[in-house]
Amino acid sequence: MADSALREFVPLIAGHKTPAQVTADICAPLERRAGGWWWLAFGLSFAAMAVGVAAVSYQLRVGIGTWGLNRTVGWAFDIANFVFWVGIGHAGTLISAVLFLFRQKWRTSVNRSAEAMTLIAVTCAGLFPVIHMGRPWLFYWFLPYPNSRGPLWVNFLSPLLWDFFAISTYLLISLVFWYVGLIPDLATLRDRLQPGIYRRLTSFFSLGWNGSCRTWMRYEVVYLLLAGLATPLVVSVHSVVSADFAAGLLPGWHTTIFPPYFVTGAIFSGLAMVLTLMLVARKTMHLEDYVTSRHIDAMTRLVLATSCLVGLAYAIEFFTALYGGNRYESFAFLNRAFGPLGWAYAIMLACNVVIPQFFWFPAIRQNFLAVFVIAILVNVGMWFERFVIVAGTLERDFLPSSWSSYTPTLIELLTLLGSFGLFFTCFLLFCRFFPVIAMAEVKAVVVEDQAESRE
Amino acid sequence: MAFEQNSDVAPFGAARGANGGFAEPIGPEPAAGSEVSVPPSSRRDFLKVAGFAFAGAAMSGCERAPVEYVMAPPAQSEGVVAGRPANYASTCGGCNAGCGLLVKVRDGRPIKLEGNPEHPLSHGGLCAAGQASLLGLYDQQHLRQPLIAGKVAEWHAVDEAIRAHLDEIHKRGGAVRFLTGSLTSPTTHRLIQHFLKRFPGARHVVHDTGGGAAILAAHEQTHGVRLLPRFHFDKAQTIVSFGADFLGRWISPVEFASAYQAGRHLNGPAPRPSYHVQIESRLSLTGSKADRRLVLAPHEVGPVMSQLALRLAGKAGVELAGNELSQGLIAEEFVNQLADDLWQTRQSSLVVCDSQNVAEQVLCNFLNHILGNYGTTVDIAQPSYQQQGNDPVLKELLHEIRENKVSALFVYQCNPVHDLPEGSSLLEALQQVPLVVSCAERLDETARAARFVCPVPHYLESWSDSEAVSGLMGVVQPAIAPLADTRSILESLAAWMGKPQTASDLLRAHWEKDVFPRWPDGGTFQAFWDKAVYDGFVGLKSEATAERTFKADAVRLLPRAQPLLAGTYTLVLYAKVGMPDASHAYNPWLQELPDPMSKVTWDNYACLSPATASHLGLSDGDVVSLESRNEGGPAVALELPVLVQRGQHDDVVAVAAGYGSLLSERFVDIGPHWLQSQPTVGADGLVGKNAASFASWVEGSLRWVRDGVRLSKTGRQHPLAATQSYNLLDVPAHLALPGQERRPIIRETTVAKLQQEHHEAARLGNSSSAGELAQLEQKQSLWPVDHPATGPQWGMAIDLNACNGCSACVVACQVENNIPVVGKDEVRRHREMYWMRIDRYYIERDGEFDVAHQPMLCQHCGNAPCETVCPVLATVHSDDGLNQQVYNRCVGTRYCANNCPYKVRRFNWFDYAHDDILQNLVLNPDVTVRSRGVMEKCTFCVQRIADARGEAGGRDVRLQDGAVKTACQQSCPAQAIVFGDLNDPQSEVARLTAESRSYRVLEELDIRPSVSYLAIVRARPANDEGQ
Repeated sequence: MADSALREFVPLIAGHKTPAQVTADICAPLERRAGGWWWLAFGLSFAAMAVGVAAVSYQLRVGIGTWGLNRTVGWAFDIANFVFWVGIGHAGTLISAVLFLFRQKWRTSVNRSAEAMTLIAVTCAGLFPVIHMGRPWLFYWFLPYPNSRGPLWVNFLSPLLWDFFAISTYLLISLVFWYVGLIPDLATLRDRLQPGIYRRLTSFFSLGWNGSCRTWMRYEVVYLLLAGLATPLVVSVHSVVSADFAAGLLPGWHTTIFPPYFVTGAIFSGLAMVLTLMLVARKTMHLEDYVTSRHIDAMTRLVLATSCLVGLAYAIEFFTALYGGNRYESFAFLNRAFGPLGWAYAIMLACNVVIPQFFWFPAIRQNFLAVFVIAILVNVGMWFERFVIVAGTLERDFLPSSWSSYTPTLIELLTLLGSFGLFFTCFLLFCRFFPVIAMAEVKAVVVEDQAESRE
Repeated sequence: MAFEQNSDVAPFGAARGANGGFAEPIGPEPAAGSEVSVPPSSRRDFLKVAGFAFAGAAMSGCERAPVEYVMAPPAQSEGVVAGRPANYASTCGGCNAGCGLLVKVRDGRPIKLEGNPEHPLSHGGLCAAGQASLLGLYDQQHLRQPLIAGKVAEWHAVDEAIRAHLDEIHKRGGAVRFLTGSLTSPTTHRLIQHFLKRFPGARHVVHDTGGGAAILAAHEQTHGVRLLPRFHFDKAQTIVSFGADFLGRWISPVEFASAYQAGRHLNGPAPRPSYHVQIESRLSLTGSKADRRLVLAPHEVGPVMSQLALRLAGKAGVELAGNELSQGLIAEEFVNQLADDLWQTRQSSLVVCDSQNVAEQVLCNFLNHILGNYGTTVDIAQPSYQQQGNDPVLKELLHEIRENKVSALFVYQCNPVHDLPEGSSLLEALQQVPLVVSCAERLDETARAARFVCPVPHYLESWSDSEAVSGLMGVVQPAIAPLADTRSILESLAAWMGKPQTASDLLRAHWEKDVFPRWPDGGTFQAFWDKAVYDGFVGLKSEATAERTFKADAVRLLPRAQPLLAGTYTLVLYAKVGMPDASHAYNPWLQELPDPMSKVTWDNYACLSPATASHLGLSDGDVVSLESRNEGGPAVALELPVLVQRGQHDDVVAVAAGYGSLLSERFVDIGPHWLQSQPTVGADGLVGKNAASFASWVEGSLRWVRDGVRLSKTGRQHPLAATQSYNLLDVPAHLALPGQERRPIIRETTVAKLQQEHHEAARLGNSSSAGELAQLEQKQSLWPVDHPATGPQWGMAIDLNACNGCSACVVACQVENNIPVVGKDEVRRHREMYWMRIDRYYIERDGEFDVAHQPMLCQHCGNAPCETVCPVLATVHSDDGLNQQVYNRCVGTRYCANNCPYKVRRFNWFDYAHDDILQNLVLNPDVTVRSRGVMEKCTFCVQRIADARGEAGGRDVRLQDGAVKTACQQSCPAQAIVFGDLNDPQSEVARLTAESRSYRVLEELDIRPSVSYLAIVRARPANDEGQ
């Protein structure tokens, strides 16, 4: 097996680190003053976020009419962005929970930042359903809280309500999982910090961690249980999101393949985003020893696998539509491929199905620049997939008289930019104030690695 | 603001019951100025009256002179209940057709115009322009006071000045001219004559924007009398129209559409609908309904008529002067077939023509004469007064004005500066006329050139009458006190004659003297008057007319004209269905109404045929320059955006008249304003361009056709705002599997097939009733009916064969349901707010095409896809089958609209302006004005259902069939829409739903729509079917 061969020669963590070195390396960025690159990146992200805030404020003030939507296309950028960000979040849970259960040790170097990314991405995603509402100040009507409106409550038949539950559950579990994993490292930070506000905070949030055997035992049990609880979410969240479309009756939306199709796509895009972020982080934060070619290799393989799955899903939905004999259904898919948004469909196919096939070549997998470019293209492709599904389907449905087209307005473009600004701002803050790599877990891998290499 | 309850309103006005039916005869009411016996009133009564007076004062403008006082009744008249509408019968003043109205008045203000179902012309229909004319009442820019030289003045000052001028003219002599549009009011006519009598040689000149003057002139030649015959489309088995858009905007569209539909009914064992042939140069609304269409350039119409005349003369054995046509024949086979069809149905056929060429109209008369249609389908014994224009006299007047021979010019209901080709030179010439008085509602182009502007009230504010066709006298009664210091033309004329009188007195006096004697039933004048005011019209004896012989020597055959110069086109002016003429340009409802054929709003444009457009490399929205140099006169030029319109002759450019009016200046700010919004008006600040300069004077008549127009591309763009961007029933061929291109949204059948079906049914006995069919339908479904309906289930049936796309329902719905106008930019972004729209599809058939109009509104699905997806239950189903939208629960996710397969839901993208306090008075108080961020859609006029239930006595009372009429149904001239209870097997809607032609759009989705459509019936052989 190529895998075992690789492992023999390349340890997961390079540089023959001792546990003390690991602590020093990973805490180093937190204990240094921020570098120029960080400030530049933060400045740009913050500016993008500020522009987004301005755009959203304007839209809230004036009305949804400042978006390019119309009587036929009621959703476009808003929901495409929402699904995109939810999808990004998926890799976090997959890496932390599923790979943990499968004892994939390579995950230890990436799980912390993947989880943080999940949290931030889900936050970004959660904004869109709120701001896309006609009257966002009434968003709390989505909550099934006891009220005085008599029998008027939420509609449990509506996929949008399921969405609300799915996303909030996801956010909650991800937050708890991320926090629990962070406790030992917070304790480490606490022990290294000078007295001050930051030390008091870490000491509070590390919950009196003392590193005893008993603490470790309980910690491991809790973490395992949480991993078990979080695992179904990998499947459920995006399945529910897909129900927004699958439960509708529009040809192109009303498809039974959507739940697995969406989950695969979500993991695909999430892994690509993790790859993008990790490649940048290891370079700028000097973590080359912790995120090695073995990690990148494992992730590119997963990207390749999910890309093939996504490609299969595209093929199956197209085949079913043409084979099914329903004139509206076959039209919806032919229109998707060859209609007015055919260019978007072409971008989607190229980025999601064709380009990732380069990962079959080990040389490409080891070329980090190529991996970085492909990962970004995958994210572009996955955004277009959502855009094609949302706007492309709505543009042309049953009655040709109502067909219309959609063009985003400046406000929508700035809102999308702002969501990226929010994402990167939060991620950069995370890099500044939290250990981006799970020190405690990496130490275990380091020790094992060394034991293995001694053998 | 002082408020006097105006005598015009309550005492004379005869109110009807809340639903348009007749209420109990109302009790004696105080007459104007008379003493009123005051019954002892309680404190509570006092408060009531005070409240009403206050409510009235809040909306009433200034009172008008001469003032009449009447005491407010201490108790409300019997039958008048706050919050309950009263209906006043009146006559529509939107155009000259004289359709009957019921003005729905709620709490003292008219809020809706409905057609009067008993009216002999309109039969309850009311066109889009008529519906929209209500808005003119609450128009901020309706002139509020008289003007002298542009400055606000008092009436007495105006009157004194005008009288002084007139006295001067009387003394020194001078030409007095009264220029008006066609006036159907006999009282006004008589008063104008009376007024002019004082000045020798004074003349009343009539200009028609309807262009019917040639018909009158032709009858003068063929029958020796200037008249417009009354056409009876219901009695015609074969209808041949040479360009006349009689269902759209020709003479009297509601009357004609109603009659046309009556002649095309499909009832009875052997339905034989009339056969309609349209010969035209552009695709008109009428052409879209024709059984056969021939596209001809305007200059080919005369020769084809001549060919037809020759064929028919041959059949009749009549010698025709000049008999043989020297040149080649056009569409010979078509003409021969047409001649056969017409000859077979002689005496019950009808030929109409909209040409302004008198020779062609004479030929048209000859055709009707030789077919024996005079006396059957063409009535000259009881002619129509709907158009009275006289072009030679108008031309002479223009000449006189230019030669400074006119001393006084009065203009009323006419806007020559805008509507005539020499408008701009006329504007200068008018400066030289010593006295120009404009009696106008708004400051239009002509009023701006007049020294004296005497504002006239809206027709819902004043008394008048209307004899649209001989023997039918309509009453125009005020439904509200005048909102501004305006004065009816009758009162102005009386004042200038030195005998000021109120319009109501003048009207009554004239009626007593001239109208009452024509009343066949006798009785007292008061009883006659009461009946007339209550009914809104009276049938009178028409003056006996002598038998008129046809003068065949007037007929001249028209040889084939010279072909057009290469590279030049014929420009054809036409009136849009939603824009009869420029006097409606102020009306945002009409400006935003999609044209029934092009679906474009807010602009006029140069229609080109697809072949011509591709030949010139033009497409929709490209600005093209039109230029014409004729008869050594000044060159005429205009820049317009192109619209590619199929069904048009390749040599023709069609442009709508009535645009580019100064009245559209007001739309500079209409619509929401935001970062990327675009203005509704063009660069010149107006909506559309005035193309009147392209009309031409030929042989003394004003023609709407101009040859020798050159087109050149400018390279600029002027995007057009259309509500429908894909026009075919077939999806693009490359996006469909073979055989799946056509969508079964429109279904068609043929007359032959229908006759066969009727025959079968008669043979087998009446087998399936509505109830059985419904049961069968339920049995066929896999899914059980989880909510069996016990009460009424509201539903609708729409006859696509009857619908002609006239869009009256669209405006009726807009008025009834407070639907905002959003402006051109929003329409361009596909955000129009109409709840009722009319989808227009072109259906390809063997290289030709058919047109289908499909009214589309919320289908109130039994399994509504919108209801399941709303997260907050803002759209729910009622137990009487309505799909309800709860505005104040809606949070605006728009999921319901996405999931609606009919795309009938409309979203409030912005807070649409409701800051015009005066205009807000038109809002229907029964319907919520929606705010930003909520979804809305057709409610099946739920407020009317609630109203009918209240009238009937409660929720549980079973309503009679027809007790509820939706706004769209009420206004439909063709009565294509039927609303009622599907659960009542006896109801009309259940009967129609069970008909063999009935189908539901997208019923295969099992969403169980409550609206069924009846298939279009085409007059072609049964084997040649589309679907």
